[in-house]
Amino acid sequence: MAAVRPSAERQRGDEAEDPDGGWGWVLVAALFVSTSLVFGLMRGLGVFFVEFVQYFEESAQAISWISSTGLAAQQFFSPLGAALSNAYDTRLVVMAGGCLAGVGFILASQATCLLHLYLTMGLISGLGWGLVFTPMVATVMASFTRRRTFALGLAFSSIGLASFMFNPLFQFLVETYAWRGALLVLGGLSLNIVPCGALIRSRRRTKGPAKEEAQGTSACGGTLRRVASYLELPLLCERPFVTYTIAITFLNVGYFVPYVHLVAHSRDSDFSEYQAAFVVSAAGVADIFGRVASGWFSDLGRFRLIHLLSFWTALTGLFIMLLPVSTLWGSYVGLVAVSLLYGFCAGALTSLAFTVVPIVAGAERVMGALGLVQLIESSAGLLGTPLSGLLRDVTGDYMASFMVSGSFLILSTLTMATLPHYFSRTDPEFPATAENAEAQRLSSETDGTNALAADATD
Amino acid sequence: MFPLLREKTRNNRITVIVMRASWMLLLLACCGNGNTKTVGQSAHPVESDALLPADARSVVLKGKSHTDKVDVASPMNLTLGCTWTGNGKKLLNVTGYWLKDGRPVDNSHVTLQFENQQVQLKRMFVIKNEENLGRYSCMFGNEAKADFILAVPHIGDVRDKPVVSYVGDSVVLVCKMDDNKPNPKTWLWFRANGTDKEEIATVAEPQKYQVQNAGKVTKLHVHNLTQDDSGLFYCGAMFTIGMAVSHLELKVITIYEPLKPFVAIILEVLVLVAAILLFERSQSKKGQVQEGEEVAKAEPPATNAEPPAINVEPPTSTSSATPPGESQGLEETLSARQRKS
Repeated sequence: MAAVRPSAERQRGDEAEDPDGGWGWVLVAALFVSTSLVFGLMRGLGVFFVEFVQYFEESAQAISWISSTGLAAQQFFSPLGAALSNAYDTRLVVMAGGCLAGVGFILASQATCLLHLYLTMGLISGLGWGLVFTPMVATVMASFTRRRTFALGLAFSSIGLASFMFNPLFQFLVETYAWRGALLVLGGLSLNIVPCGALIRSRRRTKGPAKEEAQGTSACGGTLRRVASYLELPLLCERPFVTYTIAITFLNVGYFVPYVHLVAHSRDSDFSEYQAAFVVSAAGVADIFGRVASGWFSDLGRFRLIHLLSFWTALTGLFIMLLPVSTLWGSYVGLVAVSLLYGFCAGALTSLAFTVVPIVAGAERVMGALGLVQLIESSAGLLGTPLSGLLRDVTGDYMASFMVSGSFLILSTLTMATLPHYFSRTDPEFPATAENAEAQRLSSETDGTNALAADATD
Repeated sequence: MFPLLREKTRNNRITVIVMRASWMLLLLACCGNGNTKTVGQSAHPVESDALLPADARSVVLKGKSHTDKVDVASPMNLTLGCTWTGNGKKLLNVTGYWLKDGRPVDNSHVTLQFENQQVQLKRMFVIKNEENLGRYSCMFGNEAKADFILAVPHIGDVRDKPVVSYVGDSVVLVCKMDDNKPNPKTWLWFRANGTDKEEIATVAEPQKYQVQNAGKVTKLHVHNLTQDDSGLFYCGAMFTIGMAVSHLELKVITIYEPLKPFVAIILEVLVLVAAILLFERSQSKKGQVQEGEEVAKAEPPATNAEPPAINVEPPTSTSSATPPGESQGLEETLSARQRKS
């Protein structure tokens, strides 16, 4: 027993005490690479769609379902990735995810019909991506305390940079090897996620075995309870977490709309193809800056993270609503200006949306919490873009769809304001958070009692 | 053939229409092989030619020269006009005439008077077949000229990069006419055969070639590709007047082409993973050796004091960042102790 206690508190202390630096930055680099290979890759698939439409002779909508399936699978399998990381080893889960993502594309290169592409590029690769993203983000978040938002912002900036690099690269691959060869090479590229996963330090979580000892009831009930604890399902009964998830879901309804419809809206406003593409690129560049700058600023600690998140979300909603207004006067400069502002704010809120999760869910449950948030917000993503497309078809222009998207973001801000202790100066006290444990570690006397208490409540 | 046509139609218009239809079929059949090379166009309006659709193109010539492209898909009476504003030198009159492909047009020399400091030259040309297409220039003495390039509508957006496909796979070659151009009568596909173009017999080999024509778009499906299928393909848009041709290059490659970069990337991934794992193994071995010594030293004293002691002791770590191998070693020894107890 004496040996168990030190190891348990050592484990918790290990995670909480992980300093902001050293290996943490290596993990940030790993997250940088793997995020670019997941989301950057997803964004670059547009090059293939033209080829698919011609080869398979299907409609553009049927082809676009490939990408939607991939994204939906990534978000749907996020809780699975989180649960497996909780139960087993994060490193193995991420490496397996990387292998699956690569295999999906390699198999896709042999596709003979559209269904094959849905199953390989959509389902298999999506499953792989789901096993990669959430565990890696949770690992990086666990490795930082003071510079968490900056580290995440830095890592997520890879998405924007990757889409700049990948578009010409994919174009070159398709022109040289046709889509089959290009998909094969992309499968190989995706396998680079495996070394990123290997960089995660192999660490056995003690949660599983501890739980098994605690409730030694019937095998079925015990397994269900274990699975529920890996998935962190009890979180769904807690008001802060549920409120926050609803807020993020509203955010996701409106967030992607400009990226999808901005080009079409610019073309509708009588700007040329190049001008429209430039507007989106400008927003993308501003997005990168927003991520890093907001990450650095948030870590200064001047404001509560939740307040900053509400601020950026409200601003993003405002600028989305301003987008159709800026084109009313036919001013190209106005459109570019608003797009830059939108891009900056949209990037700024991204990393904050992740770093608020430990505040509402507690540092130990971050892995499962992230998985659940991703799963629930996936419904918003599937809903948002088609809804705005429908509004556009019904009303004839993009004014209504942008207004509705922006208003969803404002709604998200209002929902965040209903979080408990929203208007207080400091973050609410959370039992047995990593920060709390770290603060109390300074006195070794209380250390043992705290660890025991945490063990008991788990 | 043409004088004969004119003679007959002076008498009977219906005969004209019938003759015109059969004459057009003849034109299609001989694909515009040159009949007469007459440059002279009729100046006096003839009833037969009056039944052709009429169109006009004019240009205002400000500088010394100007070029205009005119798409002609079917026979028509085309009136070309040029207006010249003079070149600053006060001239009273100028000789205007027409050139076709650099050769003067018969009976086209006119002396023009300047009215309101501009002169106008206009002429109707009968465009009946491919011979009548070309470069028509209206000349104002030697001072200024305007070119009208009459041609069959060109096939737009030519793909300059080759279409790539694999041995055994099938490919679709597409030729598309711009939306603002007229629909071709039909489409034809050719393969390069040496320096010549040879028509693809799509009817003869239906398993290999399939053609889908839909107005402005034509698609050639080629199945069961082999290396021999690599090369230039030509699509021809057939109009009443003539044919516009565009080319596509097809490249057939084997699966080994993309396998080369793929294998290179796989090797790189394996090397990286091996390097990372080996690095970790070596770090943990170092850590384990040190830990073994420290654990042996630290075990006898009280259990409470142990965790901080192990944390602080390792002499090699100077910064607060514990090297990965170190804590790996720590955990391994801790779990080993757990198992022991």
